[in-house]
Amino acid sequence: MKILLALDDSARAMDEAVRLASERGAGLTALFVLDTGWSVYIGSDFLLGSTARSKFLEYTRDAEFAQEHAALELVRQRAQAAGVACEVKTVTGGHIADEIIKEAAQGYDLLVMSRPFRRGLEVVRDAPAAILKAAPCDVLFVRDQPAPQA
Amino acid sequence: MSDKAKGKMTVFKTDRHEDAAAMVFVSLVVAFVLVYMAYVVPTVTIKPNQDGKLIAIKVQPDQEIKKGDLIYSFEYKDKKFVNGELQEKLAIKDVLASTNGKVLSVGVKEGDALKKGKTNIIVMDHEKGTLP
Amino acid sequence: MEEKKGLAHILAIVPGLAVMVGTLYLLRTFVEPWMKDAVVFGQKGWLVQVLSLNYILLSIIAGIIYRNVFFGGKIPDWAEAGFRTTRLFIKSGVIMLGSLYTLQKLAKVGSIAILLISTFVFGTVFFVIWYGKRIGMERSMIGVMGASCGVCGVSAAVATSPGVNAKPSEVALAIATILGFGIMTMFVSPFIGKALSMSDYQFGAWVGTGILNSGQVLATCLAFNPTFAPGTAVAYGEIWNVVRVISIPFVVFIITTWACKAEAAESCATGEKMSLTKVFKDRFPIFVLGFFGMTALSSLGWLGAEGSNTLHLMRDVMSWIFGIGLVGQGAYIDFRELKRAGGKPLRVGLVAGTLKYVVALIVIMLFVSKDASF
Repeated sequence: MKILLALDDSARAMDEAVRLASERGAGLTALFVLDTGWSVYIGSDFLLGSTARSKFLEYTRDAEFAQEHAALELVRQRAQAAGVACEVKTVTGGHIADEIIKEAAQGYDLLVMSRPFRRGLEVVRDAPAAILKAAPCDVLFVRDQPAPQA
Repeated sequence: MSDKAKGKMTVFKTDRHEDAAAMVFVSLVVAFVLVYMAYVVPTVTIKPNQDGKLIAIKVQPDQEIKKGDLIYSFEYKDKKFVNGELQEKLAIKDVLASTNGKVLSVGVKEGDALKKGKTNIIVMDHEKGTLP
Repeated sequence: MEEKKGLAHILAIVPGLAVMVGTLYLLRTFVEPWMKDAVVFGQKGWLVQVLSLNYILLSIIAGIIYRNVFFGGKIPDWAEAGFRTTRLFIKSGVIMLGSLYTLQKLAKVGSIAILLISTFVFGTVFFVIWYGKRIGMERSMIGVMGASCGVCGVSAAVATSPGVNAKPSEVALAIATILGFGIMTMFVSPFIGKALSMSDYQFGAWVGTGILNSGQVLATCLAFNPTFAPGTAVAYGEIWNVVRVISIPFVVFIITTWACKAEAAESCATGEKMSLTKVFKDRFPIFVLGFFGMTALSSLGWLGAEGSNTLHLMRDVMSWIFGIGLVGQGAYIDFRELKRAGGKPLRVGLVAGTLKYVVALIVIMLFVSKDASF
């Protein structure tokens, strides 16, 4: 069995994926998608002068890299603590949801991700909804807080 | 990797290039329009830029006209805001020739109604190198 | 997606550009004339007279439909490079607008514009700071919202964010708010303008002062009156627009300095000290110089006399350039993204935006006379 974990900064989703992997003895791959959508998102604005746009795109890119670094570090720690082997992967290209679906179609059995999914421009998009429609495998959505006990 | 993550920004490298390209593009467009109007365009059709009524036409076919000559006069409704009130009154405007040239044909007669951008008042041949 | 070079780079533009030009051509030759004659609700030309559906709004709507309906929310790869030229077209259009003025006229109206705009910029910035603090928004985001509500919407947000170290996800929300608000005002303003029988001068001044996103000022003015000539809404609105664009670097500088004050040192991006000259060099939109260049040419009378066939052709070309660009602008509007605007940026944006819009309307109706100054 192969589990794919789509990374954002949610530690709960990571823990959940690691726990499932260790319980079932499954292989775990953590996927980080770098968001390249900013250029189109601010694309209509024609008033920007000189290097303002490129400065901003560099700024968002640096933020993406910082988040990538932190998320990969965190998931490695969690996996190591649980004694699970975890492969990490970074991709880039299209919308985050598309990239996750593309990767999930590579023979994974379960996709684990947090909801709401906090990555790049996902705040104005909705990766979970898109993935729910088109997921090629089982999907587990993890809340960012544990469900309140009744 | 770094540029990939950034995503391609514009067709141009930065906005500075884009600005420069826009200026070059405009220069070309303006140059094209001016050269076309001054040298290439075969005949010029003079049309009114307001609706109105023709009250006098001062040129005839085959007449040579000079820049500043009166071509026609027309009557139009002048709408103006005076102290915040929209006032309408009839006014008369003279249209002068903007270049030297020769009148080829006249398409209207006195008393005709003029439609903005539609009615052909005269067709003329203008002196090359001037802007009609 | 590897970087294409040379000829391939240019060829990649063709499909998208063809779509934009083709759309505008169809709209102007078939759809608009049909609308002028179409009888809706028993009135001839209802679509044009009541809904102000001229080719300008139609091109934007066409672009929106492409993106949201046909493309399913994403500009496809084959069209992307072409659609990216939209900014080039709009910038070129703005430069050509310079030909509507002479230097004297520009100076005369410009001084009123500078007065109104600076009052509203500082008023809005102070309001956003006060309101943002009240609802507990982060200092960096107050800075971003202050700049974007104050001057130029999205451009100002983008120009300010790196300096104040605002969170990209929050900036995304701010941009969605401002774009959404802008699109709403773009379709609503012509109605209000016509209902209050505003003159072109008043409308240009109002829209130029009150609309958050400067990118939409021109489109709104053209929706009100699609003619390019001295004395039309777009001629006045553009003066306001140019003043706003020039003021971006200054506002960015002031806001960044404010946001980086000692007490909030952690929200300061770089250790280096901000200097006005550096901000100016990085952020000044050079195409504005082209605009003044065109004004100079027209002041010298090199572009033909007013009312001449030459100027007529020039303005016709201008309207085509704008139209092509606006189709592309529409294609950058994704309603799914705008719908998800939320959080504190939405609250601040809506309150500040509405306040500015309404106060500007009141001020213009009270203090700016209907008689145009040129």
